[in-house]
Amino acid sequence: MTKYMLMFIDREGGWDGVTKAQNDEVQAGIMKWWGDLMAKGAIHGQGKLASKETATTVRRVNGAMRVTDGPFVESKEHVGGFGVVQAADLDEAIAIAKGMVVLLPEGLGLEVRPVVEH
Amino acid sequence: MAKFAFLYLDDGVEYQNPTPEQQAVYGQIFKWFETNGPRFVDGGEELQPARTATTLRKAKGKVSVLDGPFIEAKEGIGGFSIVEAKDKADAIALAKTWPGYGVEVRPLNEDMGDMR
Repeated sequence: MTKYMLMFIDREGGWDGVTKAQNDEVQAGIMKWWGDLMAKGAIHGQGKLASKETATTVRRVNGAMRVTDGPFVESKEHVGGFGVVQAADLDEAIAIAKGMVVLLPEGLGLEVRPVVEH
Repeated sequence: MAKFAFLYLDDGVEYQNPTPEQQAVYGQIFKWFETNGPRFVDGGEELQPARTATTLRKAKGKVSVLDGPFIEAKEGIGGFSIVEAKDKADAIALAKTWPGYGVEVRPLNEDMGDMR
């Protein structure tokens, strides 16, 4: 078994046009998807991040750490949250991820990345 | 106390054969985790390089699966931890001691109930 990080993509305007009722349905679907994975013991970490406006980036520049407001890259898309799931292989991790992405509004999704096993 | 996500940045350079200088940084990072251990709610994970990423998106009602990270940029996310700090200034002060290349610090939203 390998652990995979699922990074949820947060996009400006990504939820525009989604009604309250549609949103409730999506959220309920995601909670069920997540709950099922939790029940199977497949979740090994999680975090929901506050909006990108709250981000601060610290970066080494000429040997010293420089602090700037905002996320590390200026982009329409950012990391909105993450979960760490255990899966047999990448195919299974992708199959797990599909269970959430299919619920999302058009254009949204997530990135799947294997973690380094120490 | 509040929780913050530390998203560790990599500079986009993949080190197949680390130089002694890079190995020294790894050593400092290991020590940094040891020293700050009590501050971690979740030590987190180190990620495989961005080239191992797969991105899934909803497209025309279906799920498209593409190789690669969702952000194409020189810098990328190389790992994460969850840290406890008094406030944002305290979290940033800790991030400034990170021996590696960089960190994006982001407050954690305690409510997992709404993913939007």
